[in-house]
Amino acid sequence: MATILVAPAPSPSVRARRFSTLRRAARARLAPFGAAVMLLAIMVALLAPVVAPYSPLKQNLDRTLARPDWAHLMGTDNVGRDVFSRVVYGTRVSLVAGFGSVVIAVLVGGLLGLLAGYAGGRVDNLLMRVMDAVLSFPPLVLALALGAVLGAGLTGVVIALGVVYTPTFARLMRGQVLSITAREYVDAARALGAPGWRIAWSHVLPNATAPIVVQASLSVAFAILAEASLSFLGLGIQPPAASWGSMINAGRGYLQQAPWIVFGPGAALFITVVGLNFVGDAIRDALDPRLRA
Amino acid sequence: MGLLILRRLIATIPVLLLVTAGVFALIHLTPGDPIDAMMAESVDDSVKRQLRSELGLDRPLHLQYATWMGRLLQGDLGRSIRNQEPVIDNVGRRIKPSLQLAGFAMAISLLVATPIGILSAARRNSTLDRFGTSFALFGICMPNFLIALLLIFLFGVTLRWLPISGYVDPMEEFWDGIRSLALPAITLGLALAAVITRTLRSSMLEALSEDYIRTARAKGLSEGAVIRAHALKNALIPVVTVLGLQLGTLIGGAVITEYVFALPGVGRLVVDAVFARDYPLVQGVVLLIAVGFILSNLMVDLLYGWIDPRIRHR
Repeated sequence: MATILVAPAPSPSVRARRFSTLRRAARARLAPFGAAVMLLAIMVALLAPVVAPYSPLKQNLDRTLARPDWAHLMGTDNVGRDVFSRVVYGTRVSLVAGFGSVVIAVLVGGLLGLLAGYAGGRVDNLLMRVMDAVLSFPPLVLALALGAVLGAGLTGVVIALGVVYTPTFARLMRGQVLSITAREYVDAARALGAPGWRIAWSHVLPNATAPIVVQASLSVAFAILAEASLSFLGLGIQPPAASWGSMINAGRGYLQQAPWIVFGPGAALFITVVGLNFVGDAIRDALDPRLRA
Repeated sequence: MGLLILRRLIATIPVLLLVTAGVFALIHLTPGDPIDAMMAESVDDSVKRQLRSELGLDRPLHLQYATWMGRLLQGDLGRSIRNQEPVIDNVGRRIKPSLQLAGFAMAISLLVATPIGILSAARRNSTLDRFGTSFALFGICMPNFLIALLLIFLFGVTLRWLPISGYVDPMEEFWDGIRSLALPAITLGLALAAVITRTLRSSMLEALSEDYIRTARAKGLSEGAVIRAHALKNALIPVVTVLGLQLGTLIGGAVITEYVFALPGVGRLVVDAVFARDYPLVQGVVLLIAVGFILSNLMVDLLYGWIDPRIRHR
């Protein structure tokens, strides 16, 4: 007997639960600040040409190392470029690197974890050992080595960081699959004749999302830090393109005469990472109160 | 305990094999020809051919891997293209400053984090606690290089108290050595201290809410004794786990710190090798770092069993 399992539309109680999750996330003390920072960063990245008063690449050799004033909110650098405009354009690089690498890691890691958890046996063993091997490299060293072979630039950095974060999501997803497939409702679906892909799609994935979302939201902040570190070392975004990390590296030679070249992008980086951390913490607390520190 | 060590060692073998395969594959991931990437276009073709055959890149992949592994097992990690010296000699020269930096940073982080973490938990929601949690957040969100530049700006450029770059071996000239390592070690130590503070605070809070703490208080022990003898001992277990998890971050942090302060350590060697596209050196050093990382994690695992007897007997 063929049984058709139709995914029910979200019931009012499910909808109410979703809203209460959002409400719980918003109630966390520092979450509004985090959300505001994140929204601001996204807006600035999208509207960079409107927000930035100057071109990030335009040099003005008559006004090099100028102090911050109304014309140049964060001063100018050693070739007279407006630091604020460069910080604005740098937001794009940071967000693309942060979100891009985590999206890659979630998709690849999630898929590998799903495969390992479902297939079990040798496939599971092999995949998990490979993930262990990736985790055996200190993250920044692995990203450096991958960056070296993939070449400097945003694409190389996003792929390198994506690889670095993949095992975390693969392990997480595998754990979820193992625990969820042992539940009774999965047995019930199986007994009703639901095929494996349907069980994965309608039972395992929705239930495994919460920890993945929590991990992803926290990983974005670290990915942004990692991109800045790689660019600082000269392996990420190449000058003259604006990236916070490379700007800070370029400015460290002028720390005495013009500290604003370093502290402008430094403040932007710090505030963004703090904001994203607050958002990540709030999402974690809302989705899984047991994890609250 | 011996059996536990043996079991763990055996478990690391497949991972180590995969790590070597990954490191071997590194050179082949280069888009285009790795020899072209390593050498300038102007270099004579015969020199390129010679390097290609020296690195075995003109042979089938499985043979290359077999030869490379064979050499590896004999302790031959290859030679740097730049200075023609074996990788192991290059690392040998650089390991001392790195170990001194790591040890110094670890000491600073424990000295800072232990009192802050304990007091934060013992005086929950007080001003002191707020200071402790803010410190932890600051350290976690602040990238190493920014802490380094802030310290350079403050203590090197403005106050001129400490040198901002260079290295003196403390074993030869003690005070100058300590002074040369002070800013790098504080940079690396503060980031680690932040993570330890956060973990210690939350594990102390958990330990302090246990029944045995109430019992200890009920039998009239002073608060200091309760914290020292009962809460802290139990709270240390998650701290050790987190220390193990943070080793990777510590190594990454050391790479950046050595780069900023021009310390001639292994981290700086990796960065220089990457820039010089000295792939054999990159492969060798990355492999050594990964093996070191795996072994340190193994030690942390064993330390965990030593601290908590319940794990040893599992």
